[in-house]
Amino acid sequence: MLGAATKRSAPEGSKGEMADSRGVTATSTEPVTAVAGQPAKTIEARDVNLFYGDFQAVEGVSMTIEPNKVTALIGSSGCGKTTFLRSLNRMHELTPGARVEGGITLDGEDVYAPGVDPVAVRRLIGMVFQQPNPFPTMSIYDNVAAGLNLNAKKVSKSQKDAAVERSLRGAHLWDEVKDRLEKPGAGLSGGQQQRLCIARAIAVEPEVLLMDEPCSALDPVATLAIEDLIGELKNRYTIVIVTHNMQQAARASDVTAFFNIEGTGKPGHLVEVGPTQEIFTKPGKQETEDYVSGRFG
Amino acid sequence: MPEVARAEYLEELANLEASALGGLDLVNTALTRTLEAVEHQDVELAQLVVADDDRIDGRYLEVHQALITLLATQSPVATDLRLISSLLHVLKNIERMGDQCVNVCKVIPISGNEPPADEEMVGLILSMGRQTKTLIVQAKRAFEERDAEMAQDLVRQDDVVDNLNRDCFRLAIELGDDADKREWAMTMLLAARAIERIGDNAVDIGEQVAFVVTGLFREFEDASHPEG
Repeated sequence: MLGAATKRSAPEGSKGEMADSRGVTATSTEPVTAVAGQPAKTIEARDVNLFYGDFQAVEGVSMTIEPNKVTALIGSSGCGKTTFLRSLNRMHELTPGARVEGGITLDGEDVYAPGVDPVAVRRLIGMVFQQPNPFPTMSIYDNVAAGLNLNAKKVSKSQKDAAVERSLRGAHLWDEVKDRLEKPGAGLSGGQQQRLCIARAIAVEPEVLLMDEPCSALDPVATLAIEDLIGELKNRYTIVIVTHNMQQAARASDVTAFFNIEGTGKPGHLVEVGPTQEIFTKPGKQETEDYVSGRFG
Repeated sequence: MPEVARAEYLEELANLEASALGGLDLVNTALTRTLEAVEHQDVELAQLVVADDDRIDGRYLEVHQALITLLATQSPVATDLRLISSLLHVLKNIERMGDQCVNVCKVIPISGNEPPADEEMVGLILSMGRQTKTLIVQAKRAFEERDAEMAQDLVRQDDVVDNLNRDCFRLAIELGDDADKREWAMTMLLAARAIERIGDNAVDIGEQVAFVVTGLFREFEDASHPEG
């Protein structure tokens, strides 16, 4: 399977469906409920090379992203960690000229296989971005329900109400917004907006949550609230977080992967991946030690 | 290549390590004076050692506080974190070593100005002291050079101290029925015991060296399960 997953351009817009492990396809009308404590899915990256046109941004990344764990990707700017993150749910290919080589599988299923619908992949592998980006004109309720409206054609009002409440509770936001669900999402504080975005991401019941510096625009209190939330969400999802804040990686992740570049214009590569506790107490490589200790800046 | 960053922090950490390990030099001096006080039953010198222990305690408090500040403000990780953690342990060991010198010096006046000293017993204690000084120097060097093998060798060196301590015990039993001599021998056993503990503290410092180097803490010898 993996052997076949090399050198391909992105088949964006193909009509395939990606079946998940519970036999429900991504275009099913019934949102699937992930049960707390149930194993989420494993992502395998095998010799992943990522390009923007002729420029190679990431070289030869192979790693296993384990279910029900928070995996932090750390490294200096330009080391390819965000590019790698975006390749996991096929967002990398949205950039014109971008392409992917190598294999990425979700519980053994090749997410880049011909016939797989990238939209279906992105439903199973949700994304939270650096800047909280709720739909500004939509109400809090509609922000959360947005994904349901797009993905599922026949969701009753009561089902939608339940999904919105469940998602807002899951994102620790319900108590703060339950009395103003019809107010615009843009009226919330930064931390609340980011939790709203997390609620929106989990409303469609993904298997994996990708987070690209989700706290970098937030104050310390909101940051710790999101980190607590991440700690809870890992019981249901596989979580990958890109962060520039090494203490955040140390606090919030179970596994840490360190990316680096040899110099400007060179591709980023994975230096070391291991249990966070080891990376921050006894890393295997001097390069990692130098980075986490702040020896280079 | 990027330049080395955090130069000020690294310099401070290096200075604190030097200052903490410098406590071993203070202990070495204290032990040298202690042995001299034992050899000559010199009560005044013994009192000087007791008074001077404030310097070792002061070093402990000063470096300990500075390390806590580094932990709070610099978020050290990896080798830096292991180093700071081990220095906190080593400081405690050094403080205890100083206290053991004080313990020896405090029993010297008990034995009186002209005690019925047994030359062989005094000789054994002085031998223990000299061997323990070797351990102190070796522990410091092993730490400075991050030499886990040299640290492990402290166990072998400490066995010499332990054997001399047992010899002291045997000799005390053999010293006969004279009440004054027995009393003197009892106080000297307390002194021998204190010096033996200084050796143990040096071995503990060696264990911290191994932790800094390998990231794993293990006791070189398990006193609770010596056969294990």
